[in-house]
Amino acid sequence: MNDPLLKRIWRHRHFYAFISPFFVLFAVFGLYPLLFSLYLSFVQWDGLTPMQWVGLSNFRNMIHDEIFFTSLWNTLIIGLMYIPPMFIGAFLFAVLLNSSWLKLRGLFRAALFLPVVTPMVVVAIVFTLLYGQEAGFLNWLAGKLGMGPFPWLVSENWSKPSVSVLLVWRWTGYNMVLMLAGLQGISTEYYEAARIDGANALQRMWYITLPLMRPVFVFCSIMSLIGTVYMFDEVFVLTQGGPGSSSTNFGLYLFNTSFTDFRFGYASCIAYTVAFFVFMASLLILRIRRSGTE
Amino acid sequence: MRLSHSTQQQLLRIAAYVFLAVMAVLFMFPFYWLFVSAFKAKDQIFSLPPVLWPDPWRFSNFAAVFEKTHIVQAFINSVVIACGHCTLALFLCSLAGFAFAKYPHAPGRDKLFAFVLATMMIPGAVTLIPVFVVLCKLHAINTYWAMIVPGAASAFGIFWMRQYTMENVHNDLLDAARIDGCSEFRIYWSVVLPVLKPAMAALGIILLIGSWNNLMWAFIVLRTTDMYTLPLVIYLLNGENRTPFEMIMAASVLATLPLVIAFLFFQRQFIAGITAGAIKG
Repeated sequence: MNDPLLKRIWRHRHFYAFISPFFVLFAVFGLYPLLFSLYLSFVQWDGLTPMQWVGLSNFRNMIHDEIFFTSLWNTLIIGLMYIPPMFIGAFLFAVLLNSSWLKLRGLFRAALFLPVVTPMVVVAIVFTLLYGQEAGFLNWLAGKLGMGPFPWLVSENWSKPSVSVLLVWRWTGYNMVLMLAGLQGISTEYYEAARIDGANALQRMWYITLPLMRPVFVFCSIMSLIGTVYMFDEVFVLTQGGPGSSSTNFGLYLFNTSFTDFRFGYASCIAYTVAFFVFMASLLILRIRRSGTE
Repeated sequence: MRLSHSTQQQLLRIAAYVFLAVMAVLFMFPFYWLFVSAFKAKDQIFSLPPVLWPDPWRFSNFAAVFEKTHIVQAFINSVVIACGHCTLALFLCSLAGFAFAKYPHAPGRDKLFAFVLATMMIPGAVTLIPVFVVLCKLHAINTYWAMIVPGAASAFGIFWMRQYTMENVHNDLLDAARIDGCSEFRIYWSVVLPVLKPAMAALGIILLIGSWNNLMWAFIVLRTTDMYTLPLVIYLLNGENRTPFEMIMAASVLATLPLVIAFLFFQRQFIAGITAGAIKG
């Protein structure tokens, strides 16, 4: 009983009592699943019959899995299609909403942000109607303008852009709010000083705003990267990943492998592999940020 | 002709207003479409030219939803799950966050906290199957627990609560309460929690949005109609033969309105919730 460590622990028993609910839940729903999933990567299992140890064969199968690579490719293409316009739009909106002369700020902000709180399944079904081939609003509008009809959801070439439009609509407000907070965090002193030195608006933007916004851009990029890889509801409801597998991203493919085909072992294997690469990519983005500020 | 500087500025501002107004209309259009479609007859939803203004406004779509689907039950389920999830997560996170912030001499505190931070890196996709298996073993599939508990141990929440406690709860306050003979839990409950309110509101809103809109996990763990949540009911209606779009739209309005109304009333907390994640994270 004279052990000072035990005594110290006993004196701080409240600390351990207060953090233990979290750690109990985390052990059951975080840590154990993480290790179990790693183990599953090396077995074959459908959830019912006994597991079968297969060594590295899941990984070998992955290398030859065409749909897996298609889903990664689609993830990349969809990301490249929607992230740049979304970032530019969000930044533009944030700069405008941050201007002191702007009136009706709350109204504009609410209009641009509301998509973020809408259930994704609702968003996807409304877009299904708007994208309708014969009677959709968009094709009717295109017809009025002498274009179309466009095969929004029924062509392999159009499914990715159609998903991207939905994503821009859904996530611009979210990024705008983050960027707005970033802009408001920049001290006005910088701008005053630059104005005294005779810098015009564009120069102030280029030499002050953009460099100081870099951490926010980095955060938004990482969130968008992760969001695109693991997104599910959007494609699950709007296109079911089709036509063919033209809009199947990794999140949907993982879901199908897990809960449609019940290939628990193989699904864990690809989930682990992709999580590893997403983690490395996030580190890389953070690295670029650091090297840029030095 | 050269415009004077102030005229130029005036023109730029007008252009900015026009641009923002056009964008606001574009962004609101899907909401408008959702809302008017909920009051159209089914053939009006697909008529050409599109019906921009329902005539007459049909409330019978809502009646049909109440009659033919378990929407009321689903609404209750969604509310129970969202509230349960938020309450549990906020309790766990604020308690642990407080502990990590205010017991600096507890042995192993820093290592434990570093461990919590490291768990933020785990993407949910990796643990999807094992969590499902755990819930099966606990016989929790098709219960509220399956929706409420798994995401509640949020490392991010603890991180945030710890930060907020360190910045806003003063040690003098805690010491004064201790001298008055408060138990440690009492201190958390009556002294710390009131101070944490703004941070809890913001974190609660993020959790609420996620829980209320969650489709994938509901799809995986909820099996019977009496347990379905709103997103699941809407998704399943969408998959029916001869899709009843007029009913889907009515149900969608019912599923969308609560958060939209909450957002309009609590804009500041919503924005704080979204941005705190970025600045602190």
